[in-house]
Amino acid sequence: MNKPIYLLFWSVLIMVCFTSCVKDTDFDQADDIVLSPVLELDFIYFTLDQSDYFNPNTGEQRLIVTDTTDFEILNESFVRDDLKRAEYLFKLENSAPISFLTEFRFLNENDEVVYEVAIPISAGSIAAPVLTEHIENIENQGILELTLASKVVVNVIIPSSFENIEGALNLQSKTTYFFEI
Amino acid sequence: MRNLLCFILIPLLGCLTYGQNKQILYDFGDIPQSLLVNPATIMDQDYHVGIPFLSQVSFHFGSSGVSAYDIFGKSNVDINTRIRNVIYGLDKYDFFSVNQQLEILSFGWKNSKGIYYSGGIYEELDVFTYFPKDWAILAWEGNSEHIGRNFHFNDISVTAELLSVFHFGANKRINEKLTLGARAKIYSSIAHARSTDNEGVFKTVEVEGSDNIYIHRIINADVTVQTSGIQSLSDAGSGAAVANEMLSRVFLGGNLGLGVDLGATYQIKDNLIATASLIDIGAVFHTKDAESYEAKGNHNLDGIELLFPALSDGESAYDYYNDIEDNFENDIPVDTINSSYTQFRPLKVNASIKYGFGKKQNSKVCDCLNKDKGEDWREEVGLQLFAIKRPKKPQFAYTAYYKRRFGDFLIGKLTYTIDQYSATNVGMGLSTNYNWFNFYVAVDNILKYPNVAKAKNVSLQLGFNLKIDKNE
Repeated sequence: MNKPIYLLFWSVLIMVCFTSCVKDTDFDQADDIVLSPVLELDFIYFTLDQSDYFNPNTGEQRLIVTDTTDFEILNESFVRDDLKRAEYLFKLENSAPISFLTEFRFLNENDEVVYEVAIPISAGSIAAPVLTEHIENIENQGILELTLASKVVVNVIIPSSFENIEGALNLQSKTTYFFEI
Repeated sequence: MRNLLCFILIPLLGCLTYGQNKQILYDFGDIPQSLLVNPATIMDQDYHVGIPFLSQVSFHFGSSGVSAYDIFGKSNVDINTRIRNVIYGLDKYDFFSVNQQLEILSFGWKNSKGIYYSGGIYEELDVFTYFPKDWAILAWEGNSEHIGRNFHFNDISVTAELLSVFHFGANKRINEKLTLGARAKIYSSIAHARSTDNEGVFKTVEVEGSDNIYIHRIINADVTVQTSGIQSLSDAGSGAAVANEMLSRVFLGGNLGLGVDLGATYQIKDNLIATASLIDIGAVFHTKDAESYEAKGNHNLDGIELLFPALSDGESAYDYYNDIEDNFENDIPVDTINSSYTQFRPLKVNASIKYGFGKKQNSKVCDCLNKDKGEDWREEVGLQLFAIKRPKKPQFAYTAYYKRRFGDFLIGKLTYTIDQYSATNVGMGLSTNYNWFNFYVAVDNILKYPNVAKAKNVSLQLGFNLKIDKNE
């Protein structure tokens, strides 16, 4: 085959190749891609009974039972950037014959309260424990405040002095985190 | 310019089912590089020399189950809904593959006894990952809608390697019917990483009577990541130092390995020929700069249990949060291991049977080149089988083809390939000769060329050679 025909053949072939392309697509849609995982994570749990309301060292009554835990996950950058809503579920079962006030205080690194949840608990009995469910839905400004937190303080407050408490206060809780990434 | 970019980039973005299947190149004796897929391929010429760095440029990119159009096609359906549909439409055996080869050097010659020797150097990048379906669902949707579901670590299966290959082989006609070929290879690994054969599950469960609402469980986890050649590159610092180190590894400075290719061509009748080849029977021995990470164990997490201890003044609160982290690290420690390991190369198997018909091509007075071996039928049809060993299971592809010579100038091969994902892959290969100059190009899925975004199988191979016959 002579040279002109050879060149013509490849020119046509390359032209055909160049006609191939992408149609009916819009790669700008990549900007609209949003991962929106919803994560369920256990939160805090405890069981308080009679022994917890007395100081084992002094024998004195403790009208405020308190404990603190670090909770640094809220302070992680990906949580601060991408968490849109958080829903806390607190399930409290009280079989003690007195009422309580439970407080969940979220503190920042300077121990300042940035978010707080308070749940009153009615008195119950061993035969008929009282179940209290509280859902705390946090979004918008609340999320901005919550994600400043790095600690959680839990206070269980007994409104008045008592002689004897039978039964227990039991807490189970979880958080549903709604992300948009 | 836009079309130029499309022509160059879209095959790279397109989707390829079997990254290393070269069904067009296979048994294409007019192209010297067909020796790399079957060392027993019969060569017509007396010598060949590949144009350095241009004798074989090969790209394969893609996935088995999704095309660019599936995600980015213009549609009234929200793109996030489409991605969700794709995630649920794929299964854990779907995969994504990137394979690229660049031949640095290629040469061959036929000696007086008819043995065709060939050798060269090529660089290869091969990345292969199964679709980690469970973890894609967890990342996309979270665990909220999947309480009780097992997320399997086995879904994570990925291999990646960059290496150079030095090879030398020969083929010889043993008798009237049989031609055998073999090729020895030295692999020089530039970098390698893999995480395969992982075990265990993660799940979130509700258990009646448990302390908290859920238990997050990691059960029988056994997850390993093996790497070689990566740590020293990350320690190398500047880009120039990394480039120098990689270049030295290209030229046998990396972890070395050995392998062979075997092939056979058997002439059943004058116009009926069977072929077969085994490619990359071998392994790379990662003895230098090997670093592996292994995480094994079981772990349960059910939140933070507060104990409300009565603290004295100045006594700090109990460190519940760090306890959770420590317990996790104790239950599932991540061990760093610096022991060597052996990596078997993915074995490829090719086989074919072809039938020649039409006029005999060679009408020259001298038949000394083709020697009436059936190679000179003007037209042929054939069937090919390709298989490759991958971490979870071998993959197969079946090809039917039609090949025709158009004088000495042009040989064309039209292929139709079917596999479990695609039944519409039509490919085309062309090899042309002008004096000593040979140029070839092979493309897959030409039916999708009007809109490559819809293609799941696109590949491109091309190259330039000099082919020399003593008698010309």
